[in-house]
Amino acid sequence: MNRQIRQLALGLMSLYVLLFGALNFWQVGQEEELNGNIENTRAIRREFNKPRGPIVTTDGVVVARSVPNPDPTSDLKQLREYPTGELFAHLTGYVTLAFGSTQVERTSGDVLTGSTTEQQIRSLGDLLDNEVDNSGSVQLTVRHDLQTVARDLLAGRKGSVAVVEIATGAVRAMYSNPSFDPGTFVNAPFEEAQETIIELQEADDDPLLSGAYQQRFMPGSTFKVITTGIGLETGAIDLTSEFAREREWVPPQTNDPIQNYRGSQCGGDLAEVFRRSCNIPFAQTAVAIGPDAMVAGTEAWGIGDPVPIDLPRPAASTFGDTTDLDQRLPLLAIRGFGQNEDQMVPLHMALVAAAVANGGEMMEPHVVEATFDHDGRELDRTRPEPWLRPISAPTAATLTELMTGVTEGDRGTARSVDLNGGVRFAAKTGTAELGLVENPDLVHAWMIAFAPLEQPRYAVAVVLNDLESTEADAATGGREAGPIVKGVLDFLLTGAGSDR
Amino acid sequence: MTATVTPEPTRAEVRRHRRALMALSRRRRNTELTLVVMAVVITGAAYTIASLGTNAEIPPGIIVFVGILLGLLVCAHVVVRLVARGADATLLPLAALLHGIGFVMITRLDDRLAGLQATWSMLAIVVFVATLVVIQRPTDLARYQWTFFAIGAILLVLPLVPGLGSQINGARIWVSLGPINFQPGEFAKIALAIFFAAYLGERRELIAASTWRIGPMRLPEPRFILPVVVAWGFAVVVMVGERDLGSSLLFFTLFVVMMWVATEKVSYLLIGVVLFAGAAFFSWSQFSHVRTRVDIWIDPWSRSLDRGYQLVQSLFGLADGGITGTGLGRGTPNQVPLASSDFIFASIGEEMGLIGASAILISYLLIVGAGLRTAIRTERPFEKLLAVGLTTIIGVQAFIIVGGVIKVVPLTGITLPFVSYGGSSLLANYVLLALLLRVSDSAARRLGELPDEPTTAERWAAWRLRSKADRGKADPIDIDVDAVS
Repeated sequence: MNRQIRQLALGLMSLYVLLFGALNFWQVGQEEELNGNIENTRAIRREFNKPRGPIVTTDGVVVARSVPNPDPTSDLKQLREYPTGELFAHLTGYVTLAFGSTQVERTSGDVLTGSTTEQQIRSLGDLLDNEVDNSGSVQLTVRHDLQTVARDLLAGRKGSVAVVEIATGAVRAMYSNPSFDPGTFVNAPFEEAQETIIELQEADDDPLLSGAYQQRFMPGSTFKVITTGIGLETGAIDLTSEFAREREWVPPQTNDPIQNYRGSQCGGDLAEVFRRSCNIPFAQTAVAIGPDAMVAGTEAWGIGDPVPIDLPRPAASTFGDTTDLDQRLPLLAIRGFGQNEDQMVPLHMALVAAAVANGGEMMEPHVVEATFDHDGRELDRTRPEPWLRPISAPTAATLTELMTGVTEGDRGTARSVDLNGGVRFAAKTGTAELGLVENPDLVHAWMIAFAPLEQPRYAVAVVLNDLESTEADAATGGREAGPIVKGVLDFLLTGAGSDR
Repeated sequence: MTATVTPEPTRAEVRRHRRALMALSRRRRNTELTLVVMAVVITGAAYTIASLGTNAEIPPGIIVFVGILLGLLVCAHVVVRLVARGADATLLPLAALLHGIGFVMITRLDDRLAGLQATWSMLAIVVFVATLVVIQRPTDLARYQWTFFAIGAILLVLPLVPGLGSQINGARIWVSLGPINFQPGEFAKIALAIFFAAYLGERRELIAASTWRIGPMRLPEPRFILPVVVAWGFAVVVMVGERDLGSSLLFFTLFVVMMWVATEKVSYLLIGVVLFAGAAFFSWSQFSHVRTRVDIWIDPWSRSLDRGYQLVQSLFGLADGGITGTGLGRGTPNQVPLASSDFIFASIGEEMGLIGASAILISYLLIVGAGLRTAIRTERPFEKLLAVGLTTIIGVQAFIIVGGVIKVVPLTGITLPFVSYGGSSLLANYVLLALLLRVSDSAARRLGELPDEPTTAERWAAWRLRSKADRGKADPIDIDVDAVS
């Protein structure tokens, strides 16, 4: 029997050699392929369990942070908290295991988990210890106090506020309502989180999308800044241009007349029609500029390009369908004063005001001020970068003069808005009549502004999206958006938020 | 020619010889003790590392844990030293190492199972000790071969008894007695291995003679072979009925190997292969659950989200571990369903890497080596066959489940001996280990490596008789000399 037993030993041994071979195949030979398999979530999970640093506002308020999971049996070693709830949701975004991450949580995810090459090299001394907390932190340009002011001024109405530092493009506030609270689902069990996210995705007013930079709205008369800028640049108009006082004007290629706001009679020189926001002069200006120059002009203002903010999926403003525009001059005329298919991203409108204030140079907007490693050493600081130069300095000066007329001149549409301490500012209002069949009174009330006039520091864009404007109760940009602009600028320049 | 007279060994020489023999067994036991302590050290270290990996803290109960573990194993070792001094020195430490690593993995995978597994572990050591103490002569087992035949058969059908058996995870292999779930099949395989060994050991020549001619074939006399075939066929059919494919494969292999070794005829191996191929094809064509298993084995990737999920996740885990592993407590082995029982090898491969997984494989190979060495060393056919049978159970069972987990063979649910979570499996494997040690000790005594000694029962009987004689109630002459030899 011993012979058979020896053979049995040999047989069993070869079975184990086979197992050893297979083990090598999977753990060494196929290792890379299996780890790269799309269904293999282990790496994601591990990445997710790495310590994750906080996101802090420029005035030092923590808006996202990780805390250890009190439940030790959970697969998740830490929970993500958003102490300010919905206030910064459109800036921080959220990070989840199953549904990915958004906004700064996404764009700065590698810094927050300490996965950038620089952070890795800096922690080289701890190379042997995988457990070392290497997480970085992100500082936003946005001010928590200003963001709160913006939210309070919106007072629950649907709309957006964007405040940009003119010289740098740093976004100091960007809030839009509706928003959402990431805390309601980031740490919830899979099914619950899925349900909440789907609910948010399917909600009518898109709370997951920032109204300030991920959506666009009809700009109404605020667009006249752009039309005027193009007109001045192309020489189609100048300060001496005179426009007939009329109630309506029939553009070429149609019999349908264009009217001024509520059919009023409106005309005069450029300064007057600009501050009173007549429609017909700007329709005529657009036609005078001509379709090609007009389209090229809007492109020079960045219309058609996504706003180059350092956040994912920004929206692009649009001048509408521009094919065969020379055959459709009436549309060109209407778009000249910001109606028809014109749609502007609110943040972009703030940049338009900023460009005027900045001698014609439009800066790239950004919300990440700086990133830091775990020891608080700076990794990267966002340097101001110019985006576009849509207008020359003289044109900018002229536009500043025109926009000052809006706040200070006779019958200026923002004449009623006065900043505290007599601070002078320039602005343009807009009341975009959406002309919806189901709700003909629905308007977007806009105002863009910059201040102080002498040494412009901040540009603001405010839009209120869901206002109903009737004959008896006219909701206009000046009346509705004006107080918000005033609140923001007062806070920044003379109020609690000023650096006196 | 001068006749040389071999002188009677002097008392001193006898004493020296005895001392030499005792020294051998003592060395063997000291080796065992050293290895057991090493296994405890490895387990304790792994336990600490796993806790550091999961909670980043030294486990608060580490001293108690190592203390209890050491106490249990030293207790087992002391009993071996007392009643099986000549046994192989590596078997107990290897089992302790596998058991320890398994326990650490189970604790790390699921806290709630740790307490239960700890209780089962203690019970297992108790059962190990009891087996060694109760069965002090392997021949005692052979005497009760038909009893074991009956026990094996009853244990096998127990899960099929209505009201007693219950189905868990698709296999009806459980018996529920109140709160306790038990897998009688784990013990049935030992009982049947004992029966096969005893029956074949007694009649191997008769069976090997193959005097029954059918055409060109020469088969063993039906009356000799019948009980074996019945036992085997019964076991395989019942296991298939209980949907326990892994166990039926194990029984099949056990039977074929034992027939082959007993008869020394390679034709039994060939018959086995042919029968297996036939049975495999039959069940593949008849049972959808068998077909599913084979399909998953051939291509788990296309069903990676439902039926192939477990295997695919297992392979992902292995790849994630790579050569050195993610580190204990640092991987995500719980992504594999049944990580602590059937798939514990994948968890080990993930967290301890190719190195740790290979160490487990080598441990089994060493157990197989020690078991088969025992089989070769012993002269008695029963003991030879018993050692072969028990070793085959451990070696093949580990192969079936490890092979299933790493996609070498179709996956069949079966526990990894000593490592997997599960009370019945642990108890049965410690009984098996005790029997192997018993055979090994017996082999050493037959080889004259140490003297035969009376069993505890015999010492007890002798002590009673002696005390009776001292009190003058019996004539010392009546004492059965054989019994106290």
